[in-house]
Amino acid sequence: MAAYALRRLLQSIPLLLLVSLIAFGLMKLVPGDPAMVMGGPNATADEIDAIRRNLGLDRPFWVQLGAFYWNLAQGDLGRSLLLGQPVGAAIVERLPATISIALYSMGLTLVFGLSIGIVAALRHNTIVDQAAMVIALLGVSLPNFWVGLVLIVLFSVQLGWLPTGGYVAFGDDPVGWLRSATLPAVSLALLQIGLLARITRSAMLEVLRQDYIRTARAKGLSEWKVVGKHAFANVRIPVVTVIGLIFSVLLSGSVIVETVFSVPGMGALLGNAILRRDYPLIQGGLLFVAAALMLINLLVDILYAWCDPRVRIGGDAR
Amino acid sequence: MPTIHRRTRLTMATAALALAAGAAAAEPFTCPVTGGELIFALEAQVPGLDWHVSNSTATRNVALNIYESLITRDDNMNPILQLAEDVSVSDDGLAYTFTLRDGVTFHNGKTMTSADVVASFNRYAQVGVDRGILEPVEGWEAPDPRTFVLRLREARPLFLEALSVFTVPVSIIPAEHEGAPPQQLPVIGTGPYKLDEFRADSFVRIVRHDGYQPDTRYDTMSGMGGRRVACLDAVTFRMMTEAASRTAALEVGEVHGVEDVPAASQARLAADPNLTVTRRDTFWMNVFYPNHSAPPTDNLKVRQAMLAALDFDEIMEAATEGNYKLNMGFQFPGQLYYTEEGAELLNQADPERAKALLAEAGYDGTPIVLLTNRQFPVMYNTSLVMAEQLKAAGMNAELLVLDWPAALAKSQQETTGWNVFHTGWITVIALGGPQTLRQMAEPNPVHKPVDLKVDPEFMAAFREVQTATALADRQAAFARAQRRALETVMAVPLGVAPKVQAVRANVKGFSTYYNTRMTNLWLEN
Repeated sequence: MAAYALRRLLQSIPLLLLVSLIAFGLMKLVPGDPAMVMGGPNATADEIDAIRRNLGLDRPFWVQLGAFYWNLAQGDLGRSLLLGQPVGAAIVERLPATISIALYSMGLTLVFGLSIGIVAALRHNTIVDQAAMVIALLGVSLPNFWVGLVLIVLFSVQLGWLPTGGYVAFGDDPVGWLRSATLPAVSLALLQIGLLARITRSAMLEVLRQDYIRTARAKGLSEWKVVGKHAFANVRIPVVTVIGLIFSVLLSGSVIVETVFSVPGMGALLGNAILRRDYPLIQGGLLFVAAALMLINLLVDILYAWCDPRVRIGGDAR
Repeated sequence: MPTIHRRTRLTMATAALALAAGAAAAEPFTCPVTGGELIFALEAQVPGLDWHVSNSTATRNVALNIYESLITRDDNMNPILQLAEDVSVSDDGLAYTFTLRDGVTFHNGKTMTSADVVASFNRYAQVGVDRGILEPVEGWEAPDPRTFVLRLREARPLFLEALSVFTVPVSIIPAEHEGAPPQQLPVIGTGPYKLDEFRADSFVRIVRHDGYQPDTRYDTMSGMGGRRVACLDAVTFRMMTEAASRTAALEVGEVHGVEDVPAASQARLAADPNLTVTRRDTFWMNVFYPNHSAPPTDNLKVRQAMLAALDFDEIMEAATEGNYKLNMGFQFPGQLYYTEEGAELLNQADPERAKALLAEAGYDGTPIVLLTNRQFPVMYNTSLVMAEQLKAAGMNAELLVLDWPAALAKSQQETTGWNVFHTGWITVIALGGPQTLRQMAEPNPVHKPVDLKVDPEFMAAFREVQTATALADRQAAFARAQRRALETVMAVPLGVAPKVQAVRANVKGFSTYYNTRMTNLWLEN
């Protein structure tokens, strides 16, 4: 297992380098640069040129790329052009907000997504099933910026229960964290709940038609055991795959939700970096997100073996 | 405006007179209530607090409370002294001698001397965004700890006006920070507030600088200077870029004030007794300029046809949701250089005349590309309506929508692929006539004439604006330059949109200026 994980990690290094190179090249191909953003709409061409020189953007492409990789080899992701702080520090500063909201959102997704999916499958072709699928469809269809604004109007402006935005670190004030993270987590979770519910439902429906389920029922097992032990055990593989994808999405942050709720997370960091053409931050941020996705994929592969004993890590299958 | 005479000192007597005209304060300002923390929601991210290298409005909103300069601008955009006690100009107009105010301290407790001023000018000359203002300066020196001398290569009657521009001013920093690379400047100034914490993309918190001595030469704050008093213990600027979230936070009392209230929310907020909506009617000039190098707008007749076709009211109505005023020139009424010279060329709304001009030009249907962006809805909506009006007059108008950095880069670096660029001017207008004309003058005219050679008649008038010693001559030259700019369609001022802010009713003393000032305001109860 350990050797497999190590091999997968080593294999990811060239891929990460490729990601960084593509990110660097693509951003250079797009017109505009951080000097334009710093200068703003009122800056003169002279001012823009001065800012560009100050930021070192007048250096040739290869010099800038070489400097990036030289720093990377020393574990330095560079310094954000516009934030004035190291890229690594900027990412570390924002990770707690993104990770904690992602976990909160993931928890909501698992509880509601799996429940809705299972209940819908068990009550197939009934009004419960249709209601569950309408909820799932709404979750998938409603844009999360709209959901976010509606939640603000309802729970912040009208009811006054939760703050309109901002983020309180869990370590500083757990209750404050819960209050500040709830609306963003719900906004993010709605889409994922819809996805997970639909996947779970279709996987469960397929499994529930299998002979061994009929056999289990014929043996007189309780419905709880039939579903919980025999049926759900066989939908874990597709569900774990989807959960891995969902967590990848949540971990890379959501520009829209973080902007609506003024959460200083990874999504807003990367979104703003792209809008400002903050090259080091874009490269460093994408590199980090790519590494996180690879780790999650690795984790999902390992979980497959746990979910299904027939799967053997390293390529052997029984 | 303080008048600079040779061998005449710009003392506080003259400066205070100028100030009194704008502020009319009866008694020196003191805080009715001291203490409390004010939370203010900004509409944009603050890209660092190194004011020497950032032209961003968001940076300026925070930095103006932290840093100060030798000289700045008052409410009416006249130069006034700030860290300088006085300034005298030599007979030949080549030497400007500043005497520094006594007892000014930095946030680190150190007393400011002329060595700090020298270091600040040294750094600004290396990295300052607007270091072009130092172009006529031969050098500077500090003969004693309270004296700073600037020596010019040639006399420039408007030098102090240029030095007092607050977009990216020569803010005074401690000498030990002279070598700080761009965006890595320790945030230490002499202003009424000092930095407590800056969390990029999230918030900036500043706290009162207890060692700050308000400038007692003035009665109250004016513009960026005057008697600035920090009544609050602290101010937190929260970056909330989503307008609906920002106004919701204000309504529920999570923040005390917000920047940029969207037009759709203004009536609702104004009706709320817990809130006060404030506005500055002359703020954002909606401007477009044609590309003089690319066909078909390289043809004067085509450009004039475009100008003839446009209905400014219709454009501004859509661009600002009805929140606008037309403006018949490149300056706002009341400004020193305001003139309506050439105003008959604006808002013609005459498609038939446009068609006749197109026929004279031999226009063959070549596309007219309007380069715009969606990040600034005013610009995008302007381009949408303008395209339709041009089409109605027989022009083949089409939009090219890029994001803001890309659109700006294209307009500045390329002379093909676009014909009209949409933008907005704020401080370009507010800081006065010469600053406005600079946009259209050599060496970097925005309208991209062939080889960047600007119309000689315009350039002659522009030079006179810069060099004439009598104000009346400069004003007359400005009027000629404006007429020429409109006749040749270098840039077109479509109208003005206001700046609208809102605060909780317990925030007192707040007024809307070009930037958000956190001095001379207090929290009641």
